[in-house]
Amino acid sequence: MNTKLFSPYVPRPVTLVEKTPLSDFVTRFTFEQDNGKPLAHKPGQFVNLSIYGIGEAPFSISSPPRRTNITFEIAVRKIGAVTSALHALEPGAKVGIRGPYGSSFPVMKFVGKDILIVAGGLGYIPLRSLLFYQLRHRDEFGRMILMVGTRDPKERIFVDEIADLAKSGDVEVLETVDMPDSTWKGNVGVITTLLPKAELDPGNTFVAMVGPPIMYRFVIAECRKKGIASEQIFVSLERKMKCGLGKCGHCQINELNTCIDGPVFCYTDIEAYQEAI
Amino acid sequence: MTTYTVYKEQLPGLFEKWSKLYALHVPARLREGFYDLVPWKKDLEIAWDYDVAYNSAKRFVMPPHEALITYDRRTCEAKPVFDAPKQILFGVHPYDVKALNQLDQIMEAGSPDQNYIRRREATVVMVFEPLTVSSSAFWASVGASSVAHGFDLYWTKIGPAAFTVEVGSVRGEELLGMNGPLLASTAGDKEGARRAKARVLAKARKNALRYNWEETPRLLAKCWDSPLWRRYSQMCLACGSCNLVCPTCYCFDIREESDDQLETGVRSREWDGCMLEGFAKVAGNHNFRPKAQDRYRHRYFRKGKYIYDKIGELGCVGCGRCVRACTAGIANPLKVFNELWEETAHEY
Repeated sequence: MNTKLFSPYVPRPVTLVEKTPLSDFVTRFTFEQDNGKPLAHKPGQFVNLSIYGIGEAPFSISSPPRRTNITFEIAVRKIGAVTSALHALEPGAKVGIRGPYGSSFPVMKFVGKDILIVAGGLGYIPLRSLLFYQLRHRDEFGRMILMVGTRDPKERIFVDEIADLAKSGDVEVLETVDMPDSTWKGNVGVITTLLPKAELDPGNTFVAMVGPPIMYRFVIAECRKKGIASEQIFVSLERKMKCGLGKCGHCQINELNTCIDGPVFCYTDIEAYQEAI
Repeated sequence: MTTYTVYKEQLPGLFEKWSKLYALHVPARLREGFYDLVPWKKDLEIAWDYDVAYNSAKRFVMPPHEALITYDRRTCEAKPVFDAPKQILFGVHPYDVKALNQLDQIMEAGSPDQNYIRRREATVVMVFEPLTVSSSAFWASVGASSVAHGFDLYWTKIGPAAFTVEVGSVRGEELLGMNGPLLASTAGDKEGARRAKARVLAKARKNALRYNWEETPRLLAKCWDSPLWRRYSQMCLACGSCNLVCPTCYCFDIREESDDQLETGVRSREWDGCMLEGFAKVAGNHNFRPKAQDRYRHRYFRKGKYIYDKIGELGCVGCGRCVRACTAGIANPLKVFNELWEETAHEY
């Protein structure tokens, strides 16, 4: 008889410490681990968050890895049952988490290289964990270029943060919106229109991109046009997830399990999979 | 491996003893043409000649609804639930054991699923060599006509009232010996078992793949864009019946239910099906497999390629349950694989 009583399905409690609205529908949530330990995640990983009585759903971790700090952040759009319940919580409330799960951006590979970060819509949320991790070690990387595309100005998130990044000079920021309103003075068009605007050193540039499903093939095509090789392109893909352990079958991309083989994939590893992009 | 000869008259006594220690399930006829494993009771007639149980054995190790954790909303604490009843599955056919062995590999890989493992360990599997073959079955041609492990006892009927019983585990041997000393099989009895197997295999080979089953992943790799997927899937009702009856389908959803005070509750897994419309749909209503064609193809790729690439076995054991369950008449791995083979035959 196997007497091991460990169940990977049991979440552990974390406490909501801060809640910051980012747009009409998106809010940043800062949690503290009740076990007093740092989350110990890698950039690009996710947690399965439980609101008991409502359900469990996967969320990308938005904060960079922290060595001693026991907090971590996610940013969430209010769109379904779990996300609505999450938005109703106030600081002090507890939720359950499992994880961190999944693959991460290979930061060590990026050392000494330029990085192009392409964030479509909510894609900036998981990419933040990479961006701020690299910024903490800014000297170890080459140029850092951030491209942000949003549907319309009202839906932009982390607006001040991105403006500060641009001002700091550490990151070259290019931003666009698909549908401008009277307040918008910047670029107009889908995110792919930003790529021709940037001077890149294709042999020395890694790309990290996250966005809506439709975005990938177009941005990848633009990157290839620039001469960036498949093995320098990293994407994080969204799929429906339930177990986070590679068992329940929901997140499959052909034979890959997005929850354990992904969510971060090198483009060469998924190029041949018809269901990936 | 040790083999004993057991006579029919010994069975009621053994069943009596076993049923005191275990929940004992045996094959029985429910109505004409429908069989299933049912709880044993005295004088129940055992359907020795059943062709296929309409439910597969997976429900005993991975029930349709299974609690995983209990939670308390007030404290935000959760505790694991491990429910593993001691049970004997008497009379499971080899192809269903093959399916169980496959589930073992998948549930034990990576992060081991203790809920499954504990249930499986508490389950005694007694195989029974089939006497008849369902008209939709093709297990003899997909490498599922026998199993070498994953069972406790392997029963073969060698005469009107006699069986050989091959021992697969110490636990099995102890259960068999509960009513006194056992009789080792003679060479003649073993020969009888060999012939019984040959007889059923001859019947089972009538429905067969037209190629070696090991070729299936290579075959599918060429068939992603085959017109067959659309031809069949346009009839698909997306009901998930094929998933439910399949002995190797194990995909599950996770759901929860709170008490009426919304204070405590249970989170459970429930069988899910990749043929259902919402299986790959995320919040915001983006569906990663929106068309029946995408889902239909995915299921056959899982059976014929993805599982194979993981564990080296076909994810279909040829039981033919999906063929019978499909109301649209489109679920048929044998037909699908054979037609794809024909389509691509000129490429070899």
